[in-house]
Amino acid sequence: MPHKLIGRTSVRDNIKLSEDPSYPIFKELYEKQKKAVWFPEELNIQQDALDYHTLSEDEKDLFDTAVGYFCSSELLVQNVLVNSFFPLLTDPHAKMSFSTQLFMENIHSDFFEIVLQSFGMDREKMYDVAFDDPILRKKQSLIVDEIDKISYGRIDPNSLEGQKQILRAILLNNIILEGIFFYSSFAHFFALKDMAKMKNVVSGVELVLIDESLHLQNGIEAILIMLDENPEIVEDQEYVQEIRDVILEGTALEIEYVKHKFGDRTILGISYGELERYLKYITDRRLQELGFEQEFHINENPLRFLQKEDVKKLINFFEVSSTEYTNY
Amino acid sequence: MKRTVIKRDGTEEPFRTQQIINAIFEIIQGLEVEDDYELVFLIMKELDLKVPERVTTEELDRLVLKAIEQLIPKHPVYDTLATRQLLKLINKGIDRRLDDFHDFLEQAFEQELLDERLKEFDLDLLAESLNFERDGLLGYFGLTTLNDRYLMKNRDQQVIEKPQWFFMRVAMGIGNSNEEIVKIYNKLSKLEYLHSTPTLFNSGTVTSQYSSCYVSVVDDSLDSIMDKARETAFLAKYAGGVGTDVTRIRATGSNIESLNAPSSGAIPFIKIFDTLVNSIQQGGRRRSSQVISMQPWHLDIDGFMDLRETTGNAYFRTPSLNTKLWMPDEMMRRIKEGEPIYLFDPGVCGELVDAIGDDFRKKYEKRIEQAEAGELEQFKKLDSQNFFKKYLFKLAKTGHPWLIFKDEHNRHNPCPEYSVINSSNLCTEISIPNRPDSTAVCTLASVNLSKHVNEAQDDIDWDKLEDTLEVMVRGLDNILDKNFYPSEAARRNTMDLRPLGIGMMGFAEALIDLDIAYDSEEAVILARKLGSFMREVAYRTSQELAEERGAFKHYQEMEEQGNPYDYEPRRNAVLLAIAPTASISIITGTTSSIDSYFSNLYSRDTLSGKHIVINRQLIEDLEEQGQWSDEMADTIKANNGSVQHIDELDGIIDKQLYKTAYEIHPKRQVDIAAAFQESIDQAVSKSLYIDEQLRDNMEEIYLYAWEKKLKSTYYCFIDKVVKGEKYTEKVNKRGSRKGFGASGSSADNGTPKKTDPVEEDKAELEAKAREKFGDEAVDQALEADANSCPTDPMLRRICPACE
Repeated sequence: MPHKLIGRTSVRDNIKLSEDPSYPIFKELYEKQKKAVWFPEELNIQQDALDYHTLSEDEKDLFDTAVGYFCSSELLVQNVLVNSFFPLLTDPHAKMSFSTQLFMENIHSDFFEIVLQSFGMDREKMYDVAFDDPILRKKQSLIVDEIDKISYGRIDPNSLEGQKQILRAILLNNIILEGIFFYSSFAHFFALKDMAKMKNVVSGVELVLIDESLHLQNGIEAILIMLDENPEIVEDQEYVQEIRDVILEGTALEIEYVKHKFGDRTILGISYGELERYLKYITDRRLQELGFEQEFHINENPLRFLQKEDVKKLINFFEVSSTEYTNY
Repeated sequence: MKRTVIKRDGTEEPFRTQQIINAIFEIIQGLEVEDDYELVFLIMKELDLKVPERVTTEELDRLVLKAIEQLIPKHPVYDTLATRQLLKLINKGIDRRLDDFHDFLEQAFEQELLDERLKEFDLDLLAESLNFERDGLLGYFGLTTLNDRYLMKNRDQQVIEKPQWFFMRVAMGIGNSNEEIVKIYNKLSKLEYLHSTPTLFNSGTVTSQYSSCYVSVVDDSLDSIMDKARETAFLAKYAGGVGTDVTRIRATGSNIESLNAPSSGAIPFIKIFDTLVNSIQQGGRRRSSQVISMQPWHLDIDGFMDLRETTGNAYFRTPSLNTKLWMPDEMMRRIKEGEPIYLFDPGVCGELVDAIGDDFRKKYEKRIEQAEAGELEQFKKLDSQNFFKKYLFKLAKTGHPWLIFKDEHNRHNPCPEYSVINSSNLCTEISIPNRPDSTAVCTLASVNLSKHVNEAQDDIDWDKLEDTLEVMVRGLDNILDKNFYPSEAARRNTMDLRPLGIGMMGFAEALIDLDIAYDSEEAVILARKLGSFMREVAYRTSQELAEERGAFKHYQEMEEQGNPYDYEPRRNAVLLAIAPTASISIITGTTSSIDSYFSNLYSRDTLSGKHIVINRQLIEDLEEQGQWSDEMADTIKANNGSVQHIDELDGIIDKQLYKTAYEIHPKRQVDIAAAFQESIDQAVSKSLYIDEQLRDNMEEIYLYAWEKKLKSTYYCFIDKVVKGEKYTEKVNKRGSRKGFGASGSSADNGTPKKTDPVEEDKAELEAKAREKFGDEAVDQALEADANSCPTDPMLRRICPACE
C-alpha cells in the first residue's frame, strides 16, 4: 500500500525526521507556528479591568459569552485532535505541526483562563456557557456528536471509509470550529477594540487569530493531501455533498447564533446584517480553500474595520500591549 | 426590512433614508469633490447593513460616523468627512449643555475644574480670538484622540470642551498675559506646535501638573529605596513617566554591614517598582510608566536583562516596567575591540557609579587589576562580544533593555558642578544632571515641522520657525513657575536648573513636501541645519529671558562662588530634547518625531482604539498622476504598505520619497538622529526599525549608533515575520490543487456557475504572466515558498504560497 498521511501507526513508527520530508508543507507550518509562540504573561490584561466594568450589559454579555465559548472550545479542539486523528498521522513533520497546534491551544486556554480570573467572572458559568446556552449547544453538538462516532467507533484508517471519516473529523475541527465558529467570535472581540474597549485582552486575541489561521492551514493542507492520496473520495458525490452540507450547516448555526445575540439592535456599532454577511463571506472563503464553489458569492468582507488586522501595526508601547514582537 | 428610529424624547418614527442623505450632504458642503452623489451612495451602502430594525437617533449618528470611518482607507476625503461628522456630534452634545465659551468657563470654574487664576485674563478678548474654522485642520484620528482623552469633561463625565476651547484653555494655562495667550493659542490651534500630553491634559486646570518626565536616582540604602518608591507613586499618580537609576544598589551576595548578612541584590527591589506602577496606572487617562536603568558592569546585570522575559520566576520579572542599559564608553570600546568586560558589586566599587569618561576607564582598570590579583571577593569576567550578542538577542526578543550611552550624555553636561547625569527618562530624550535629592523634571513641547515649509515648498520657512521656537521657549519657561511638583526633589531640580525640552515632529512629512527622500544625504544635511537652527534660536531666546527674569539659580550660585561657567548667562540649563511625540503627532496628524513614515498604510493601536493611517501625501501624489484607485489601494495593502515593488509606478512617482521605516537602512536612521544630536543639548530619542533580514547585523548597527555619538536609542522594532490570515483580502491557500473541486457536478451544487476569481483562468493568467515576465520568473513564482514570494501582484496571484 502506498504511503499515506493518515494510516494505522504504532509507537515504533515515524520516529525519524527526514531532510527531505514527504510533506514539506508541514515542516513549513511547524516553523511558522514556532515563530508565532507567545505567552499570556506578555499582555497586561488587568489593565482592562476598569474598562470591563464600563461595558454596557449587551457588550458585557457578548464579551463574556465569547470568553466562555473560547475557554471550553480551546480544550475541545485538543480533545478532538488527540482522540480522533492525531494517532493516525503517519508523518513525523505532520505530527510536529499538529502537536505544536496542541501546544498553542494550551496557551489559548491559559490566556482565556487568565482573562476569566482577571475580571472575576463566574468560572462555572463561563465553562458551561457553550453547553448551557441552547444555541451555542447546537454548535458544540455538531462537532461533538460527529467526532464521537469517529473516536469511539472502530474505524479502519487504511480503508477508504476510514479515510473519509477522518477527513470529516479534521474538517469539523480545523475548518468549521476553528475556521468559522472562532472567526465569528474574533469579530466580536475586534469590534470591542475598534470602540477602544478591552484593548489588552483583544491584543491577546490578535495573537490567537494568528495562531488559529495557522491551524486552519494545518487542516486545509491535511484535507487537500488526503484528497490527493485518495482520489476515490471525491468520486463519491454523495460524500462530497455531505461535506459541503456540513460546512453550510455550521454556518447556518453560527448565523442563528448571531441573530439571537444581535437581533434587531447594534452592539459595538455592528449589526446582525453585517455579521450575517461576514459569516457568509468567511464560509465562501473556506469553501474555496477546499476546492468547492462559493455558496454566497460575497467577495468583500463587510466588516471593514477588520482591515486593521491586515496591515502592519504600530503600537504605542506604553499604552497597549504589543503583539508585534517576535519571540524567536 | 421596516426600520424604526427612536427619538431622544422616546417617540418613534419610521427610518427615512432621505433624512440621512440630506445630513450627509450637509457635511460634504464646501468640500471640493468630484462626485458628491457617489460619496453619498457609498456611505449609504455601508450604513444600510449597519442600521438595525430599531435604532435611537444617538446610535444612528454614531453609525453614520462608523460607516464613513470604514471608507477612510479608500480616500482622504472620507477622513475629512468622518472628522466633520465627529465634530458635529461633539458640538451637538456640548451645545445642548452650554451656550458659549463663557458658559463653558463658568461651569468649569463652578465645578472646580479650572484654576481660579484664569479669571484674571480678559475673557471677552480671548473669546473673540477663537477661530472655529481651524477645526478643519484636524484629521479624524487626531479629533478622535482629542475627544476620547483630551477634551475636558465635567463632573458627570460629559465632554464640555470644544476643540478650539481646548486650545484656548491650554494657552491660558501657559501665557502670562492676554497677548501671550492669544499668540500661543494661534500657534497651537494652527497645529504649528503642541505641548506634551500632560500639559494638554492639565494646563489651566486644578491639577496643574505640566511635566512629562522625571528622572530619579536610588541610593544604596533601604531608606532611599523606600523613599523613591514613595516618590514614584506620586509622580505616577500625576501621569508622568519616571526614569530611575538603580546602579547604586549593591549586588546579590554583597555584605550588609548592619545585619552582617548577604544582600539579595537589586532585582527584588526593582520588583517593588513594577508592582507600584501597575497598581497606580489604572486610575488616570493614561497609565503611568517607569523605566529602570542600570550600568552594565553591575554584577546583577544578567538578572536585569531578563526582567522583561515572559517565562521564568515571576518574582524576577517586571512586565510593567521598561528597562535600559546605561552604557559607559569603556565597555563599548571593549566590546568593539573584543577585550573582556568585568562585572563588579557597586556596594564595594561605588566609585564607578559617578565616574565618567577617562576617569571611569582608570577606575575600572584599577578594579580589573584588583580582581585579577584576587583582591576582590565578588566579580565576574565575561567575553564582551558574547555579552553584547546576548544583550542584542534580548533586545530583539523582549524589546528591552534599550541602549543609552552614559558618557555621551555626560560629555555635554552644562552643569557638571551640580551633579553628573544619572541616566535618562522613559523616552530617553532627557539629559539633566540629577542626584538622590534632586529629581530631574522635563517639560516638553514639539514644533510641527510640516507646518513650517514655505509656500513654494522649496525650503523651510525659517522666519516662521524662529517665531514658533521663541514662543515655545517663553511658554515652557512660564510653565516651570506654574507647575505642580509632586515631590520636593523634583521642585529643587527645576528651580536650580530650569530645564526645557523643545523637540520636533513632522520631519518626514516636511521632507516629502520638500521633495527630499528620508533615505538620502540631503535629509541628513537638513537635519543638521535644523538642529543647529533650533539651538541658535532657543539659546538666544533663553539668554534674553535671563536678562528679563534672571539666569537659572545654579548658574548664579556658581558665579557667586567665584567659579562661574564659561558660557553666557541664560534662563535654562538645557533647552532641547527630541521626544518620540507618539500621541501629539497623532493629534496634529503628522509623522512622529524625526522618524520616517512607518508605512504608507498601517494601523495604529492606542488607548483611543485602533486606527488605520494612510500616507496622505502619497495618495495626493498618485491622484495627481491619475493613479489612485481602489485597485491601487489594494495593491499597496497587499504589499504591506510599501510601494517599492509596485512596478507600474516606476517613473510615475518618485518611489524613493515613500520608503517605509523598515526599508530605510538602520544606519541611515542613525545618521539622521546623529545629525540632530550634534546640536540638541539633551538627547534625541530614536527608535530603530530593523528588517528581519538585518537581524544578524544588529551588532554592527548598535556599534555604529555609538560611534556616531548618539546619546540614546529607544525602541528596537523588528518586522514581524508570522502574520495572521489576511482578513479582507483574497488568499489562495490551495494553489493549483483542485481539492473537492475535482468532483463532478455535486461540488458546485447546481448553483449558477459564476466565475470564481481564484479558480478562474489560472491557466490564462499563467500564460499572460509568461508573456509579461518570461518563463523563468513564472516558474519561480509557481514554485515559490513563503520565503521567496514574488512581489509583483500579477505573479502573486499564481504563487501558491502567497498570502
